[in-house]
Amino acid sequence: MRREDHDRLAAEHVLGLLDGEEAVQAERLIESDRAFAAQVEGWRARFAELDETARPESPSVALWDKIATSTADAPVRLPSRAATPARESWFARLWNDLGFWRGAGLASAAAALLLTVGLGYFMQAAARKPVMVAVMLTDANEPAGIVNILADGRAELLPLRGIEVPAGRVLEIWTLWDRARGPVSLGTLASARTVPLRLDHLPRTSPDQLFEITLEPAGGSPTGRPTGPILMKGTASTAL
Amino acid sequence: MSGSVAAAMPTDAQALGEALRRCAGGDRAALRVIYDREAAAMIGIAMRILRRRDLAEEAVHDAFVRIWQKASSFDAERGEARSWLYAVLRHRALNILRGEKRTDQVEDFDALGLESEVESPEACVARLSDAKALRACLERLEPARRNAIVLAYVQGLTHGELAGRLGVPLGTIKSWIRRSLASLKECMA
Repeated sequence: MRREDHDRLAAEHVLGLLDGEEAVQAERLIESDRAFAAQVEGWRARFAELDETARPESPSVALWDKIATSTADAPVRLPSRAATPARESWFARLWNDLGFWRGAGLASAAAALLLTVGLGYFMQAAARKPVMVAVMLTDANEPAGIVNILADGRAELLPLRGIEVPAGRVLEIWTLWDRARGPVSLGTLASARTVPLRLDHLPRTSPDQLFEITLEPAGGSPTGRPTGPILMKGTASTAL
Repeated sequence: MSGSVAAAMPTDAQALGEALRRCAGGDRAALRVIYDREAAAMIGIAMRILRRRDLAEEAVHDAFVRIWQKASSFDAERGEARSWLYAVLRHRALNILRGEKRTDQVEDFDALGLESEVESPEACVARLSDAKALRACLERLEPARRNAIVLAYVQGLTHGELAGRLGVPLGTIKSWIRRSLASLKECMA
């Protein structure tokens, strides 16, 4: 792509006009191409004054409290992948980050079950190409579900078959990239259905990273580790 | 021109940059500093895109959670703290608008007649400073093309929505935008 095309892409990203492939491409370039990131900064600076024409409005009294709650247990993300915080903080961060995407309006006790809402937002992601795919198989080696990892760090679970979930039990999705740390829960589901997964605060998904779904008591595994039978599992491979 | 802008508010930019550095170090009081300075402006920006108070507050909430989590990725060498904060907010607000648009609720607000409260692109440009390049350069554009740029940035309209609003074909909007951007860049250089 030529320089002028990059500049057009940067400008339209800042205007908020990109969709589909181009939106993904711009997000990727911001991360990987310093010259492009600088072009984006240039366009932000050019248009910044338009933000100042908005009329300020006092936030509601409750807003800060919600923000304080949402950030209470979320340690600041470390820039280095090599840094491995304690397991508890990983869980706290994940829970918080998933909570973040649900938005304040949906916060409730039930929302502690991950991955249950926000589907609409992720439907757009359907247009985005996965960079990695994990096909999960049953113990009879039949494909039962797919995890797509998208270029922008998002991921989605697509079940390929219905699963009977007994009353009082839930499906729990896990991923394992480091045997020393053990499996990390990505959330629970009441039934097999397509849901977004948030992986972008975990280390970048690597080839052979394991994904699996187990049957757990309602509310998810009480131990933070899989306790029930494995319904399906598979490892990630790079998509061509 | 940009030199004088930077010189006009060094304390603000420095204070926000410093607060972001403290956030990156886990200092929650610093997040409150940013909130106290910027939350009202951010609600205003989000309202122009989302037009509903509850959604605007949701966007600002989400933006602050993101700011807290991503503070370490802010690089003062690469850009202004405030423009980074607003970019996080606009990104989130646009995602809510595009991806999570609840059709029924959008109809609700049309029925309530809230649409008229949104400032026109002309009024928005009129609020830009006479002394700065953006206004002069926008005013060099043909009015409909200027409106397309301002509506995209300020209200988050898509190419398709701009085409509908301005009554021209989609292809025309796309080429208007591209040419206007090239002209703005040259004018503001």
